[in-house]
Amino acid sequence: MQFSSFQEFIEMGGYAFNVWSVYGMFVIFLAINLYGPLRKNKQIIRDLKRRYAINSEAQSMPIGANTGSASGSEVIEEDGA
Amino acid sequence: MDWTWFHKWGSPKWFYELSGKWLPWLVSAMVVCLLVGVTWALLFVPQDYQQGLTNRIFYVHVPVASISLAFFPLMAISGTIFLVWRMKLADVVVKVAAPLGAWFTALALASGSIWGVDTWGTWWIWDGRLTSLLLQLFLLLAVVSLRSALEDSEGASRACALLSIVGCINVVVIKYSVDWWNTLHQTSTNFTLATDQANGPEIWVPLIFMIFAVYLFFAISLIMSTRNEILQREKRAQWVMELVAKS
Repeated sequence: MQFSSFQEFIEMGGYAFNVWSVYGMFVIFLAINLYGPLRKNKQIIRDLKRRYAINSEAQSMPIGANTGSASGSEVIEEDGA
Repeated sequence: MDWTWFHKWGSPKWFYELSGKWLPWLVSAMVVCLLVGVTWALLFVPQDYQQGLTNRIFYVHVPVASISLAFFPLMAISGTIFLVWRMKLADVVVKVAAPLGAWFTALALASGSIWGVDTWGTWWIWDGRLTSLLLQLFLLLAVVSLRSALEDSEGASRACALLSIVGCINVVVIKYSVDWWNTLHQTSTNFTLATDQANGPEIWVPLIFMIFAVYLFFAISLIMSTRNEILQREKRAQWVMELVAKS
């Protein structure tokens, strides 16, 4: 152990700014690149669920019941990405 | 020779299922390495006789900077596989690696800068190593913007693969920059097993833990982004529909 007290550890021998800002950035870097993809995964699954639900609704509609011009195919081609 | 493994690797479904099984193990290993590495580096590594406790920055800067050099070779190999064998999964890797590589390079530059401000007495200097690493950041951002400018088309995939191959030249420059232009950045350190030396195990063992931790983080982040991209590209496939229905 290089430190005799917590205070000394925080002060980092006068280099508190340098050491803690680098470790702080490191933590932010890890968090962004792990939490980001995780959140995106949830969002993609939510979007796909909605898309599949809309598509199956459009398909279950009887032919001719489709008002407007081919709204069903538009839904299929809509890109949520 | 049996090539089924190659075709399996090209199958997004197969990759998705297998990587899903790997992720918990990779995450556990990363957490262990990170806890050991960070605790050791911050609390137990002896001070440097000249730099004092700024030598703690070494344990973030070196793993991040060295792994940032892996991105262009990775993207070039994947890009070549895509160009030659039209493997879609390889193109996904080229796409998701570029922004992650930009993060790695940016952190390598920033941590080096904060280390340099007291050790070298300057935030920035147009030294060979620093300049070529900055060029890598711009090249990676160029790959990212090329992809979005060409809207994920076939042309975008091909252009990004080519730029990745060209970008490898710069990796060679970064690697040897410290030997070619010996201005300020130090050359590679040779570590020793001798415990009585300044560059002995008490310095490099925690570094090994940090390198493993950052490598695992790199793999985990890359795999998660690859899985996301697969879901989006394969959204019309039966297996994705079943997977979404189950979740």
